[in-house]
Order: sequence, then structure tokens, then C-alpha cells
Amino acid sequence: MKKRGRGVAWMFYPIGFTAYANPSAAFVKVNQDGSAVVWTGATDVGQGSTTALAQIAADALGIPVELVTMVTSDTLQTPMDIGSVASRVTYIAGNAIVRACEMAKQILFEVASEELGIGPEGLESRNGWIFVRDFPERRVRLAEIARKAEVVKGRPVIGAGSYNPPTTFLDPETGHGKPYNTYVYAAQVAEVEVDTETGEVKVLRIAAVHDCGRAINPLLVEGQIEGGVAMGLGYALSEEMVLQEGRVLNTKLADYLVPTSLDVPPIDVEIVEVPDPTGPFGAKGIGEPSLLPTAPAIVNAIYDAVGVRIRELPATPERILMALREKEKEQPGRSVRDREDGRPEK
Amino acid sequence: MTVITRPAPPPVVEEAAEGAVGKRKSRHDALLQVTGQALYGVDMKAPGMLWAKAVRSPYPHARIVRIDPTRALSIPGVACVITARDIPHNRYGFTHQDQRVLADDRVRYVGEAVAVVAAETLRVATEAAKEVVVEYEPLPAVFDPIEAMQPGAPQVHEGGNIAARLHIRDGDVERGFSEAEIIVEEEFRTPFVEHCHLEPHAALAIPGPQGTLTIYSSVQRPFLVASDVAKVLSMPLSHVRVVATSVGGGFGGKNEMTLEPWVGLLALRTGRPVKMVFTREEEFQATTVRHPYRMRYRTGVRRDGTLVARSVEIISDCGAYVSWGASTLAKACIHAAGPYVIPHVKIEGFLVYTNNPVGGAMRGFGVPQVGFAYECHTDSVAAAVGMDPITFRLRNGLRDGCRLPTGQVLERVTLHQTLQRALELAGWERGAVP
Repeated sequence: MKKRGRGVAWMFYPIGFTAYANPSAAFVKVNQDGSAVVWTGATDVGQGSTTALAQIAADALGIPVELVTMVTSDTLQTPMDIGSVASRVTYIAGNAIVRACEMAKQILFEVASEELGIGPEGLESRNGWIFVRDFPERRVRLAEIARKAEVVKGRPVIGAGSYNPPTTFLDPETGHGKPYNTYVYAAQVAEVEVDTETGEVKVLRIAAVHDCGRAINPLLVEGQIEGGVAMGLGYALSEEMVLQEGRVLNTKLADYLVPTSLDVPPIDVEIVEVPDPTGPFGAKGIGEPSLLPTAPAIVNAIYDAVGVRIRELPATPERILMALREKEKEQPGRSVRDREDGRPEK
Repeated sequence: MTVITRPAPPPVVEEAAEGAVGKRKSRHDALLQVTGQALYGVDMKAPGMLWAKAVRSPYPHARIVRIDPTRALSIPGVACVITARDIPHNRYGFTHQDQRVLADDRVRYVGEAVAVVAAETLRVATEAAKEVVVEYEPLPAVFDPIEAMQPGAPQVHEGGNIAARLHIRDGDVERGFSEAEIIVEEEFRTPFVEHCHLEPHAALAIPGPQGTLTIYSSVQRPFLVASDVAKVLSMPLSHVRVVATSVGGGFGGKNEMTLEPWVGLLALRTGRPVKMVFTREEEFQATTVRHPYRMRYRTGVRRDGTLVARSVEIISDCGAYVSWGASTLAKACIHAAGPYVIPHVKIEGFLVYTNNPVGGAMRGFGVPQVGFAYECHTDSVAAAVGMDPITFRLRNGLRDGCRLPTGQVLERVTLHQTLQRALELAGWERGAVP
């Protein structure tokens, strides 16, 4: 018999290293034509961080993102970044880039202030223009100013910046401290169908709602959430290295089962945007958190469906069948349809 | 090739959309990716390049009696074989300096590297690796962290098998349990998991003038790799350049130095570029994995559904070396009580050496393990007091200004908002969210 159930799970997760310093540094230059080059130590490992960082640089300078060239992750040619880890790149490398851009922009604004007849503090830049904040029609091309700065004033437009989140170590006695500067949150709902004859679980649908602060690039955030759900699905139902005296018996993707695109259910993704004033344009992070609620939401849905609590991952058909039989033994005469918690059957 | 990305085609500035933040921009490197111009670690090559292959231990725990590369070196096309003796400073690690670039006195897990061969082709290197004679004296091994904690268990390292201990206390947990009306106790277990990034570890080392070295690697932390390579090879940091290639996934598996010092040293020894790519089997057996955790949760609750006390004990199977084990355990402990208001909390974590594969960093860093446990446990506690899992969460979940067991006060907490929207998206009709 196939039984359906639903489960929920929350997650909360910090951005950045636990207490240890984990800085990032960035350089930027604005060319004579108003284009820019950003040097960052942060590595794009497929998640699209370079794209998000380019978007941050574009808005921090006030130029189109299409004019930003990114040079990344070379210990000789880029300033340091501690790594593409701990869901930290958007937040920490992003903040470093904002600071580098602020320095470059200060040079631009000082040069522009002569033309616009107002101090640098009264200026803003957007979309390739520098303009008076209170009279946006009074404006000059950013490229013109960049050229003038370099060629006439002899002040090449450059900037450098770094960021490290303020944290404290845990007290060794109590474990108290402030090891992280900011957190993200999420809830996921899983709907499953459990076959009581075979123990097989089919995940029908996942709803994933994540707060990542401001989403710099919603397309990439959704991509991270979908990828995280797929990884969580594997953690919940199929992925397990089988060891015999320290030797891994399943060392091939043919016998170690990572979900494929055919296994991943429809995922309803939604981003809750609560900007964090400490992040670049309010952004925090999304990389690791996306995976966290999926496995418990699925296991809670299995319980909702057939009333057995799986306490060892992955929730394989064998484990579910064993639990169903155990339950049948404990409560002879009661079918798996009866609820352990006394709630009425749906 | 340093990764340089710029979008294409070049824009007409006047027509560009205003502002980039918040926009669904396509990837900055999209054109490079779809035209195959993005170079991953496995794509890297250089003229005159040699291939490297590791000689790995078949034993989970053994003393190395003798390593004899003579036969391997006599094979035509073999250029060089390195062992622990060739490593100037054969220790590294983030919190614990227990890891060897190549095993010296002992091997501590199946797949631990004892030598690396460089040859003209991958096939010759693979054949030659089988001809490196390693004589082992097998030692008693331990595979279960609970057994490893017992007196008399085989010792993986000197100084006992408990590599790290951590505790967090908030309030008075004994008093909390005495105030509880119902106590729920459960044990959870999670498995060994491999990252399965589609691109395996891959690196190319190129020797430069004046003893310098450039290493292109598919890695998440090039700056850490550069400083670790400089340290273990006793080179000035200025002589070691590490460039991250396009990376075909990492998920924490490429958080640390692996093959880089081998190809680096072989390149310096032979004066030729040296490339290495791990096989999928090596990824499973010889690179880091997600730690299996055993977790005992005990929670005290009042009949009205108010949480009063929670104790959590975590035993993490570290494998043969600490790697990121202590750091992941810390993150796990900090979050083990879950996103709930609980006045009295005690968390205890143990990191235990075994002769299993080495646990390392993996997406979530200890929190997927405790997250599975605390969220399933939450449903069990809710059931024990006869409450709906959602009502129970809403009653006990963290809100703005709440504190974690570490004492950290949280702001902009969106648990209730995200849950409400997830339930709406899922069409959950049962009980509107208060």
C-alpha cells in the first residue's frame, strides 16, 4: 500500500568560520573608458560566486555589470581570500569588494566634484553616470571622469579593501561566545509517498523557503537551493559509503547512489529577503544552508505517512521495512495506518 | 591560466539596465563555459608533462617496514618516485598537525599514500605504482568510535583516540530536567558520505626559474594550499604560486591540500610539469568524507509543550586524521540544540580517531548531522506532548532577541516567516499559522 505524508524542518546556519579570522581582500581599478577590473582571491567552485561578486562591484562603482572584468583566485595575482567555504564568499568577499570600490569611487567623486560644483559627499554614481544626489539631472559620464582622473589629474582610479567578520572564540569552560557575525534561516516542507510493501520512499515535492539576506542574484540563489535539496535528498534516502574494515565497498557512482535529475522532485523555491546591514547590499549567504532541512523534512514526512521514526540515515527501503515490522510486532493487530501519536488518520 | 571572466557581448552603456544587484543575471563566465574555453583542473596540460600516480596502502593500520622503488624506477618512462623521506616537513593540519604528506612510520587508513610515481604517461605511472614494493607489518585496527574510546583499544595515534572534546553549557541542565514533566530520549546515526563533486581532484605543477613552482589546481582554498605546500616542502611562500582553475564542484572536498605537494615536489625533482588526477575510487577511499555522527538527544518538556532542558552527546568518527574534524564538531555542537528557546542546555562532543577514511569538511560542516537529529527529535517531542509539529515549532522556535546556548543573541530571525511561506507553498491546510 502506498501512504502519503508530509514533514517540516527548520534550519539556522551561520555565515563564515567559527570564531577564526577568515578575511577577504580585493583590488579594483576603473579604466579610462569607465570599465573596471576586480581582483579577488575568492574561487568560483560552480556556485556562481564570481557573478554575484561582479554584480556587487558594478553597483558599488555605479557601472553596468557588463563592464566588470573579474580576475580570481591566484595567490600571485590576486589579494588573499581564505576560501570558497563556510557559505562566506558573497558576504565576506562581497564586503571587501564594496570597500575597494568605495576607495576608487572617492577618487572619481573628488575629480567629478570640480565639474559638478559640489563636494564629493553630495555625489552618487549609477549606470555609468556620476550625478548630484539632490539634482540627478546634473551629471557627468563616469568614463569621462575616470579618463580625466588618470590623464589630466594623474590620479589613476584604484581601490583596495578587506573585510573580516567580528567574532569571538568560545570560552573553553562554558562554550559561550559570539563565534559568528550573522545567521541565515530556512524552512522546508517535504511530501512523500511510502510503499509499505517495499519500504520505498518517493519524494513527491519539496517546498524550500530560505532567507539569505538580500539576494544579489535570485537565479543563482535558486540554483543553490535546488542543488542543496538534491544533495539533502541523497543524504536522506540513498547516500551511504559501505565500509568493511576501513575499506569502502562502493567506490563507484554506479553503486553509491547520488540523486540524478530523474530522482529530484519538483521543488518550490522562495526567497525571503531580509537585508542584513552588515552585508554587501544586505546580502548574507546560501551555499550550505540549502541542504540542511531536506533530510529531516523527508524523514519527518515518512513518520507522518507510516508512523515509523527512522533514526539512522539514509532511510533505505530495508530500514523502513524493518521499522514497519518492528512496529507491527510491538502492536499486533494494529496496522501501520494507526497513528502512534493518536492523531486521526488522514 | 588565472580565471578571468568578463561578460559578452560588450554592452551599449546607454541601454544597460540600471543596477545589477537583485537581477537574475546569467553567469559572468557563461560564454567561456558553453564554448568549452573554461579550463578545469582536469583540462590543464603543459608541454613535456609527466603524469603522477600514488601508491596506496591496502591496510587500515600497519607499520611500514620497507619501501623499495627500484623495480618501478627500472621501468622505461618512469622519471621519479617520492616517499616520506623526500618530504622536508612531513606534517600538516589545521587544528592538529597530525597529517603526513606521505605516510612515514605507519599507515592509518586504507588508501593512505606511501609513495608517488611520475612517468611519461598515465599508463606507465599506473603500472609503475604497482611495482613499488612496500613491506607492511599489519597492526590491530579499530573501526568503531565507541570501541576506540575504550581502554585497551588499538591506538591510532599516540596520546589516545579522543582527538578533541568540546562542551557547551547554558543554564542548569539537571534543574531543567527536574522541572520537566515529560522526558524524550532518542539516538540518531548518520553515515559516511562522499562529496561526489563531478570533477575529481586534479592539479598540474609547473617548475619555474629559480626554484619557483606554479600549481594549477581544482581547489576551493588556493591560499591555504600555497602556504601548506610552502611549509611541507620548506620553500619560501613567494616561490609557490597556486592558481585555482575553474572548479567542477567541491562541497568541502577541495578545502585542503591533497595532491598539490606531490606534483609540486615531482616537478621540482624532474624539472618538468607534472599532472595528477584522482580516480573516482581514490575520491571515495582516500579523500575526505562527511563524518558519521552518533547523537544521543534527551529533552525535557512541560505538558503544555514548553521546552525546558536538552542534553546532546555527539560522537564523531574522525577517521585516521583530524583534518577539519575538530572544527566541524565545534560547529555541530554550537547548533546541536536546534533553533529553539531552551533555558537549560548541555552539549558534549567527542572526536574519535579510528582507522576509517578521514572525515573532513563537507557542505554544512557537522550541521547536517545534528540538523537531521534535532528536527526529527523535535517531531518526537511534539508527539510526546500530543502537539502538532508545526504548533510545537511555533511555540518554541527562536525569535528576534533570543539567545543560543553559546550566549549569542540573534537578530532578524526569520524562522517563523520561512515556515509560514513553506507551508503555504506546500498547500498545508492543517492549522493556519498563528
